[in-house]
Amino acid sequence: MTPAAAAPAKTRTRNLVQAVNEALDLALGADPRVMILGEDVGRNGGVFRATDGLWKKYGDARVVDTPLAEIGIMGCAIGLAVDGLRPVAEIQFDGFLPSVLDQVVCHLGRLRSRTRGRMSVPLVLRAPHGGLIHAPEHHSESPEAYFCHTPGIKVVIPSTPYDAKGLLLAAIADPDPVVFFEPKRLYRAAVGEVPEASYTVPIGKARVVKEGTDLTILTWGAMTETCAKAVERLEAEDKASVELLDLRTLTPLDLDAVLASVAKTGRCVIAHEAPNTGSWAAELSALIAERGLLRLLAPVQRVGGWDARMPLFRLEQYYIPDADRVTLAARRALSF
Amino acid sequence: MPLKTVARMEIQRLEILAPDGTVDKALMPKVSDELLLKMYRLMFQIRRFDERAVKLQRSGRLGTYPMITGQEASQCVPPLALKPTDWVVPTYRGGGVYFARGMQMRYALLYWAGDDRGTHFPDGSNDMIFSIPVGTHLTQAAGLAWGEKLKKTKGVALTYCGDGTSSKGDLHEALTFAGQFKLPAIYLIENNHWAISVPRERQSASETLAQKAWGYGVAGLQVDGNDALAVYKAVTDAVARARAGEGPTLLECETYRVSHHTTADDATRYRSDKEVESWKKRDPIARMKKFLTARKLWDEKKEKALAEATEAWIDGEVEAYESFPPPNPLDMLANNYEHAPRALIEQRAELEELLKFKGGATILTELPPAEGRFP
Repeated sequence: MTPAAAAPAKTRTRNLVQAVNEALDLALGADPRVMILGEDVGRNGGVFRATDGLWKKYGDARVVDTPLAEIGIMGCAIGLAVDGLRPVAEIQFDGFLPSVLDQVVCHLGRLRSRTRGRMSVPLVLRAPHGGLIHAPEHHSESPEAYFCHTPGIKVVIPSTPYDAKGLLLAAIADPDPVVFFEPKRLYRAAVGEVPEASYTVPIGKARVVKEGTDLTILTWGAMTETCAKAVERLEAEDKASVELLDLRTLTPLDLDAVLASVAKTGRCVIAHEAPNTGSWAAELSALIAERGLLRLLAPVQRVGGWDARMPLFRLEQYYIPDADRVTLAARRALSF
Repeated sequence: MPLKTVARMEIQRLEILAPDGTVDKALMPKVSDELLLKMYRLMFQIRRFDERAVKLQRSGRLGTYPMITGQEASQCVPPLALKPTDWVVPTYRGGGVYFARGMQMRYALLYWAGDDRGTHFPDGSNDMIFSIPVGTHLTQAAGLAWGEKLKKTKGVALTYCGDGTSSKGDLHEALTFAGQFKLPAIYLIENNHWAISVPRERQSASETLAQKAWGYGVAGLQVDGNDALAVYKAVTDAVARARAGEGPTLLECETYRVSHHTTADDATRYRSDKEVESWKKRDPIARMKKFLTARKLWDEKKEKALAEATEAWIDGEVEAYESFPPPNPLDMLANNYEHAPRALIEQRAELEELLKFKGGATILTELPPAEGRFP
């Protein structure tokens, strides 16, 4: 892993998608092995404009509009990475990721191990993540658990522009494959100060958004913003001191940070967008039970989507947990 | 040993109705005046509907909407060669397809407004719900055709995809199965030249998409997709072959996506107005009108009456769509299984509690009754 560099002083105000764009720009500029491939990433600059301007700047051989074929993108990225390039592949929407699971599960995560370490696949697979932007069907999914379940790959999801840029640069530099989810409802909504120059945020480290002593909320992606609203309310209405952790990396998990926080507060809510059954929240809950049971003062509360498919967008606000649901779960834990 | 040629490929292109409204009489299929007028009416109506849908989206009354403008012939005409009991397997860009199959367009509006009640195809016709992920429906269409073959119904399956989708492995597998088992399937590629921002030339080095049929033992034909008569003849012939047990056909209907990919896209970022204008001269509706007018089947008086009737019809559909009560949030937990498992039953109770928390004790009685089976 690339060690975290001290963040340079000069910063600019950027939203999350601009931060992604800056990271890609810096990586392409710094390393001739880096290339981008995906659908509409070139001339159009990506459907969310994540690659805006890069095709013009770096040309058709390094910022590549591919044929419409996700499995082709994924398989080619594996081949390119094994052959010494540093591909950053984009799958346009989370709902189109299931088709690449064959490549991810059967090859991407296994090549290093199958070749007894002789080969590695240093690629990044970028994809938007999550709902609540009134998108069409299959455009609002939260498929992280499928990837977290797969050995040999890392799964990262930032929630701030600063983390997006630093984590993406760390992902591109990482010697192993990294699946990089970008919470699409934060693409423009999350705005913050971002260093102009290159820097990395370490993969595998959670971020303490806010310290507290009565309850821990574990979350990731766009749910970090939702949980922050719930924290405000719990502190105002319930006089509770809440600690909020944005995991940032799902695998490898920052288990020390999770267990330390839960040991401190004794109460834990895990909030995410995917259905609870078989989710990453389920894994966290199991780890807390295995390693921290005696420090718990209340059962762990999971707040996720329902065990039903993601509905069309008129009902998505009732599917993806909102601050109300996080608050209710926190109250169950606090009053246990 | 000298090299021997062991196989040769040839791909033909079918054009019947020229942009100036003249027809190739030798190729002209037998079509009743009534059916010719139906083709025109469907294409005319769906274009107006498309325009209204875009206006609704622009004024915040509809979600992201995929336009079909320019593709009316390849969308509306093929279903006319089928029976209601034949399968149609459309894609998300399929407004003209499911309109021609008899769907009430209030439901299409409802769907694109993000409401699950919008997936309402007419009873009595075999319409697969359109696929949003690209290409994944193509093997399913082979399965549907296979089922008809096994049941000896003489039924066929017609499925659509775009030039972009033709790059996906799904088409390879679908044609492999369809060819191998001689399935009564019609694969219609609407080559509209753009997969969002990626042009047809970027999809494949293949000279035509029709020739992709050739590698699978499937009949292939390129068709002027803006020529309603050529599309009708090509599909009719393919259906006849399928019903006769002669196997599948791949049709590349060459047309053009005149509008953006969807209302969320801006095509001016990646293609020239000049290209769009050149395709507008090959408009499927305009040439059909010239043809019908020359045949004395159509005049401006009829055109005016159709325009008025169409606007009234669209007004009615929009009103019906906007009159639907809001969906009940409990609906999303219904219909996931024949028998809801314990987790869902518990979650439904939790959702009810949440709704009470949000809206007070009366919220559940104020909502429309939950639809669908639960548990």
